Amino acid sequence: MTRKQRRLILIGGSLGVLAIAAVLVLSALSDSIVFFNSPTDIVQKQLKAGTRIRVGGLVKPGSLERGEKLNVRFAVTDGNHDIAVRYQGIVPDLFREGQGVVTEGKIEADGSFVADSVLAKHDENYMPREVVDALKQSGRWQEGEMKTDAHVVSKPQ
Amino acid sequence: MTLWLALALMTAAAIFAVLWPLGRRTAAAGGSDIAVYRDQLDEIARDRTSGLIGEAEAEAAKVEVSRRLIGAADVADADKSASGRSPLWRRRATAIAGLVLLPVGTTALYLAIGSPQLPGQPLAARMAAVQQDRSLQTLIGQVEAHLERNPNDARGYEVIAPVYLRLGRFSDAVNARRKLLALSGETAERQADLGEALAAAGNGVITVEAKAAFERALVLDPADLKAKFFIGVAAEQDGDKPKAAAIWTGMLKDAPPDAPWAPVVRESLVRVGVTPPSPTAPPIAGMAAPSASDVAAASGMSEQDRGDMIRGMVARLADRLKEDGNDLEGWQRLLRAYMVLGDRDKATAAAGDAKKALAGNPDKLRQIGDTIKSMGL
Amino acid sequence: MIPELGHYALVLALALGIVQAVAPLIGALQRDTALMRLATSTAIMQFVFVALSFAALTACYVTSDFSVVNVIENSHSMMPLIYKFTSVWGNHEGSMLLWVLILAMFGASVAAFGGNLPTTLKANVLAVQSWIACTFYLFILLTSNPFLRVAQPPFEGRDLNPILQDIGLAVHPPLLYLGYVGFSISFSFAIAALIEGRIDAAWARWVRPWTLAAWMFLTVGIAMGSYWAYYELGWGGFWFWDPVENASLMPWIAGTALLHSAVVMEKRNALKVWTLLLAILAFSLSLIGTFLVRSGVLTSVHTFASDPSRGVFILMILIFFIGGGLALFAWRAPLLKQGGLFAPVSREGALVFNNLFLTTACLTVFVGTLYPLALEAVTGEKISVGAPFFNLTFGPLFIPLMFVMPFGPLLAWKRGDVLGVAQRLMAAFAIGLIAIAASFAAMGMSSVLAPFGIGLAFYVMAGSLVDLVERTGLFRMPMATVRARAAGLPRSVWGTALAHFGMAVTLLGIVCATTWGEERIVALKQGQSVTLSGYDLRFDGMVQRTGPNFRELAATFTAGSGGVAIGAMEPSKRSFVARNSSTSEAALLTRGFSQLYLSLGDVNEDGSVAIRVYFKPLVLLIWLGSLVMALGGALSLSDRRLRVGAPKPAKKSAAKPSTLQPAE
Repeated sequence: MTRKQRRLILIGGSLGVLAIAAVLVLSALSDSIVFFNSPTDIVQKQLKAGTRIRVGGLVKPGSLERGEKLNVRFAVTDGNHDIAVRYQGIVPDLFREGQGVVTEGKIEADGSFVADSVLAKHDENYMPREVVDALKQSGRWQEGEMKTDAHVVSKPQ
Repeated sequence: MTLWLALALMTAAAIFAVLWPLGRRTAAAGGSDIAVYRDQLDEIARDRTSGLIGEAEAEAAKVEVSRRLIGAADVADADKSASGRSPLWRRRATAIAGLVLLPVGTTALYLAIGSPQLPGQPLAARMAAVQQDRSLQTLIGQVEAHLERNPNDARGYEVIAPVYLRLGRFSDAVNARRKLLALSGETAERQADLGEALAAAGNGVITVEAKAAFERALVLDPADLKAKFFIGVAAEQDGDKPKAAAIWTGMLKDAPPDAPWAPVVRESLVRVGVTPPSPTAPPIAGMAAPSASDVAAASGMSEQDRGDMIRGMVARLADRLKEDGNDLEGWQRLLRAYMVLGDRDKATAAAGDAKKALAGNPDKLRQIGDTIKSMGL
Repeated sequence: MIPELGHYALVLALALGIVQAVAPLIGALQRDTALMRLATSTAIMQFVFVALSFAALTACYVTSDFSVVNVIENSHSMMPLIYKFTSVWGNHEGSMLLWVLILAMFGASVAAFGGNLPTTLKANVLAVQSWIACTFYLFILLTSNPFLRVAQPPFEGRDLNPILQDIGLAVHPPLLYLGYVGFSISFSFAIAALIEGRIDAAWARWVRPWTLAAWMFLTVGIAMGSYWAYYELGWGGFWFWDPVENASLMPWIAGTALLHSAVVMEKRNALKVWTLLLAILAFSLSLIGTFLVRSGVLTSVHTFASDPSRGVFILMILIFFIGGGLALFAWRAPLLKQGGLFAPVSREGALVFNNLFLTTACLTVFVGTLYPLALEAVTGEKISVGAPFFNLTFGPLFIPLMFVMPFGPLLAWKRGDVLGVAQRLMAAFAIGLIAIAASFAAMGMSSVLAPFGIGLAFYVMAGSLVDLVERTGLFRMPMATVRARAAGLPRSVWGTALAHFGMAVTLLGIVCATTWGEERIVALKQGQSVTLSGYDLRFDGMVQRTGPNFRELAATFTAGSGGVAIGAMEPSKRSFVARNSSTSEAALLTRGFSQLYLSLGDVNEDGSVAIRVYFKPLVLLIWLGSLVMALGGALSLSDRRLRVGAPKPAKKSAAKPSTLQPAE
């Protein structure tokens, strides 16, 4: 084999692997990306039931209810709209009313939201970046009130 | 001074690191790739003898490495002929850069961003200093020891009596006041102080004994304010509100507008249902430090009234702080009041407000932080 | 005084760094030995100053000097001593200081132990290293200065983020930084080679120990970080595909590829340009990792409090080094001479295969990590790319890689014999098949894919030992001969086998823990118990305790198996007064390589307590495998060939090397 042929094999092989990778990436991306929405987005976009999304905002004060079998209900608000969230499991250590939260799950037919993971802040100053943006859009954000810091995931899927 | 000396030494070390290699004559013996290729040849030979590679492979590899070795030797020769020049001017320029630019640049940048005027303040050392300053217990111990040796030193009792009162050791305070009266004779002030101590010892109730002391004080000096006030409290506790009101109104009438005790008296007047005469400059409805007088006043009422009164005072303080949040002591008092009332939520909220209000003043912010922490909020 | 000494030392390091960044470059260009020699002394002195600066900051933390803002914000006088040390780097400013400390340490190591390097190469390497150092000194001094002071110090600090008050902080960041920053040396070597316009097989050997050391530290650092997250975050996961984890994984993959391609370059003088590119990429990915952590552009477990000016500054550093490095590469690389020839099926071919799959895998991680950023910049939509994406892309790419892994070391250079090698691997294939059959027999059809994963792991484990078995003559020769042969084998051969073996061990752990792990979330009242994977957990009651700077509510459980008590478990919740925050401390009970994992949720009104309990079969293998990999790296590093051309023995005793030349 000449040098040229060898190089062709190498380049061909590389392109092949890259093509496979590209197919994998594209197919996986279409399945596993999750869009972030504020409660206002959900109301405005009229999202279909069953869509997997993330919802972020503040846990509405007074909305937190704990039920049997570790069921938790609360409302996420961005100041303009609220969305009711149901979750079964253990919420993060720093999950509190009035604090920032990001939940991931599906919208039910009745318009409520069933979360399978709840991300809460991890530091008294932390606010997830998405939540900050959502609150800014709804005009409920005061600049300089919080700074971003670490947060943690409660339960992955 | 030590700091600057240390900084100078460090700078000298840095300059030395630049100058030292410039001054050395010997050419540094650098490594070369020839050594690597020689080793590769050795390795091939070793692998061959231990049977790790075949004869043909070993030969081919040897040829390849030898070719590299020759190439490297050529380059090395070329390098040698070209290297070793180190003109004096270049070394001098570098040395000057090291000697001048390095210290000047470093100092300039450091002075721009550093704080050489601030000493280090390790906590242990600061704590020790604080201990020396206000080690109250030691002080009391010293005075007590002194009084044990000289039981007739009136000044010792004078010093220690208010300290006892502040610390809540009321019966000790009463004893000290009595001793003082016995040793240095009667004055209106000393009688009133005794009365105050007695009232405090009686949980704020103006006992017969206390009332006697205040009355004696007024005999000695009819204008004694403390005695007057407490006689008013006594009247209030006896249920004689008009008398109490009359005494207090009288006090306010004669008072200079900025009298520090005036707010307390005014509060008391409100309590007995009299609108206090409006002073020339409307004073802020502040809350005095919980002194024996407040306790005394409050203790004469029913549970319900007392609670209302305290809550009223706290609410006013909260309102005032909402308007003027720069009052550190006010915030501290408010927090303590909430904690005493068992209102943890409000205390937490107030702690947050306080931090926000005092955010502009790091010193006060720190102090309020300490207070908050000490309360376990 | 101490904080100011530290501050000044850092400024001095910057000044020395500037000298070191300029003079040796001119020296190398003009072949002026005096100027080139300058690099050695300044690099060492620079390290001394940064170390002094770091020591000063540490002293401030240990003595709780609250006149330093950084100490106020991240320390508490009641913290246990160990956390006073670790909180030095438990925050942005301090961790950047640790970053430059390690950077300077690597520079000083090259200066001290690089006696086998040609003078010009060494001067250029140290100069480039100093460019990196200077930009980071500036970054620290101008945007993230840990030595800022207050005139009126408070009496108490704000405490370290509770999640960081753990022994993990003592281990994970320093190791990770040793890895990240270690790649700066490979980068500097690559840039120096491009500046000189000359590169050959010897270069690969010189750069290899540094790459190996960095890779080793990064391996352990990532593994420790993963274990830390596993027990600290309270939900039993060991890898979250969090952007910052990805940021540490990408340089690791690129570094692994670099290690392998450098072998080809050293032996065959081939793949030179590619190796240079990998060296540049590995460090670029480290820098990107730093950028992601510091700038707060991505939400993640690790994000530090961010400040836009820092993000912009790091972005500029990023553009300067990555852009500059790649531009220099594009300009100079075509001028480099071509190397040796090889057939597609050969040791070289296998290593190219390795590189191809590793870089592709790295690319998919890169896409998954940065896609949300790109999409948000373009469309404004906010998305998150979850673990499924990475599992679906990274997994399939790693399977062929693992399969070919045992072939590599057995193939001959230049032209290999696949069938011959396959024959030698027969035993390994057999072991793999037996493992598949055994797992199906033991676990039934609970998972169809997992037994194949186990089979692959066992095949790789066996396959990586084949080379050793053959070369030592184990099973064929008398023990004495085997021992003599084993002693005669180059350590790098042992290292390769061990590293490949460790990779397979990790794979085994991942497959078992993710497939057959069990999870229960229940609420228990006192005296009740829960059963999971054959273990009983009985809730005995709650205890309230007080720690140095926290209050702790612990639940006591008795774990039993088949009615016999095997141990007590005490998960707890700690609340930290100073930060008004709390953490959950999971309780772990190790059984062999498996673990029972118990973490505490909320206490309900009726006195019951919510718990999350997991059984993680063979989970410890994940981290043990990584340690074995790193051990392989260490063995390779101790190979005498890497020290060729080092200063003569007489000098050697004077300069006792630390990490790079362990005693033989």
